[in-house]
Amino acid sequence: MLIAIEVGLLILVPCVAFVALWLRDLMSAVIVLGAYSFLMCLVWTGMGAVDVAFTEAAVGAGVSTVFFIAVLFNTTRNITFNPLDVSSKLVALVACLGFGYVLLQGVSDLPDWGDPYSPVNAGVSTYYIENAYADTHVPNLVTTVLADYRSVDTMLETTVVLIALLGIFMILKKDRPAQSDSSDTQAHDSLIIRLSARFIAPFIQLFGLYVVAHGHHSPGGGFQGGVILGTGLILMAMSMGMASAKRLLSIPRMIILAAVGVLIYAGWGAVPLVYNGYFLDYSVWESVFGSMARSHSMLIVEIGVALTVMCGMYGIYMSLVSDGGMQEGL
Amino acid sequence: MTTLSYSVAIILMTMGLWAMLSKKNLIKKLMGLAIFQTGIILFFISMGAKEGATIPILDHHGYGGIYSDDYANPLTQILMLTAIVVGVATLGLGLALARKIYAHYGSFNEDDILANLREPNE
Repeated sequence: MLIAIEVGLLILVPCVAFVALWLRDLMSAVIVLGAYSFLMCLVWTGMGAVDVAFTEAAVGAGVSTVFFIAVLFNTTRNITFNPLDVSSKLVALVACLGFGYVLLQGVSDLPDWGDPYSPVNAGVSTYYIENAYADTHVPNLVTTVLADYRSVDTMLETTVVLIALLGIFMILKKDRPAQSDSSDTQAHDSLIIRLSARFIAPFIQLFGLYVVAHGHHSPGGGFQGGVILGTGLILMAMSMGMASAKRLLSIPRMIILAAVGVLIYAGWGAVPLVYNGYFLDYSVWESVFGSMARSHSMLIVEIGVALTVMCGMYGIYMSLVSDGGMQEGL
Repeated sequence: MTTLSYSVAIILMTMGLWAMLSKKNLIKKLMGLAIFQTGIILFFISMGAKEGATIPILDHHGYGGIYSDDYANPLTQILMLTAIVVGVATLGLGLALARKIYAHYGSFNEDDILANLREPNE
């Protein structure tokens, strides 16, 4: 029964992806892409990857849809289609079919799906599963590998988010922001949206904090929690106007907080160097936290990740929706 | 089931590549990029899946022994988890570039942009 659902989902996913690419209206295509992300979450949950599915639900279906809409809202949703232009499409089609054919030939050589003794599932991942709890006292193995064993990797991924945020600022930056002293009230202001957003936002923030703090024991962690905290801010910016969101978290303060997140991560990892340890080797902290040192250190670096990701998502949305001017949004 | 998930991953990657090569609209190209990325993630996740295994969170704090066959592979999962977040950051960067191009040329369409590039005084 469960297998049948999985097979159905796996067949449905490429169909939805095709619809998303085929639709001529960009806004509908973006919404279908969000539905595609949700279906993908279900597929991954069925394969036991709950953390990945959680991230995709928050990022793929949530925030990236919002980013697309933020861009389309102020530009255009129409596609100019030229049916006479066949030659370039034909070349692309042949190239892609060749690419797909070569890869499909290789599928028969891959290990069977779900084989616990395949090369991917042997080796270091076995060590992680069997020793992670004894080493760190954290039951969520994904968090352990993310924030402890492969911590350098995660630190640099966080830095990539910061760099992308700065890159977007530099691309869209206006030399002199357009002079506008218009007040908060927008033309299409709605009482229902404002009140319900004000009601929902604290719960979103609370849930985000829970996801960050409880990532040791349940799916979640800095990335997912950070994205949820960011969506709380985006909701405020959408419903109450950008000025009120900027009162919550101003743009300069947001950039500083994003950098502080990376600094918390790197700084916490750099302290062991002073005590003759390796970079990001938290066992040095045992003099402070006892045997829970690595567990608590993971929480601290996750907070750093959450800060950077929250500010990253918020900053990217604010830049995209206002075309860099940070004055008025949706 | 044995090869279906790999095949679907490859189909998605082919579809994403086709969108990036043949679509003229910049937003559609970015959507192709997103689909290509999810194809790769699906491939990694199906590699790390184990038949009859549960999610990689230890039951009862590992009481009663921990056997690696009982838990899905956490390593492939964290690689993909960070890839998703970096993916959305790069998607934002791509959207910012598209937005800037639209501000200059007034279109997301590649042909219009090229035509404008050739005759800037139009």
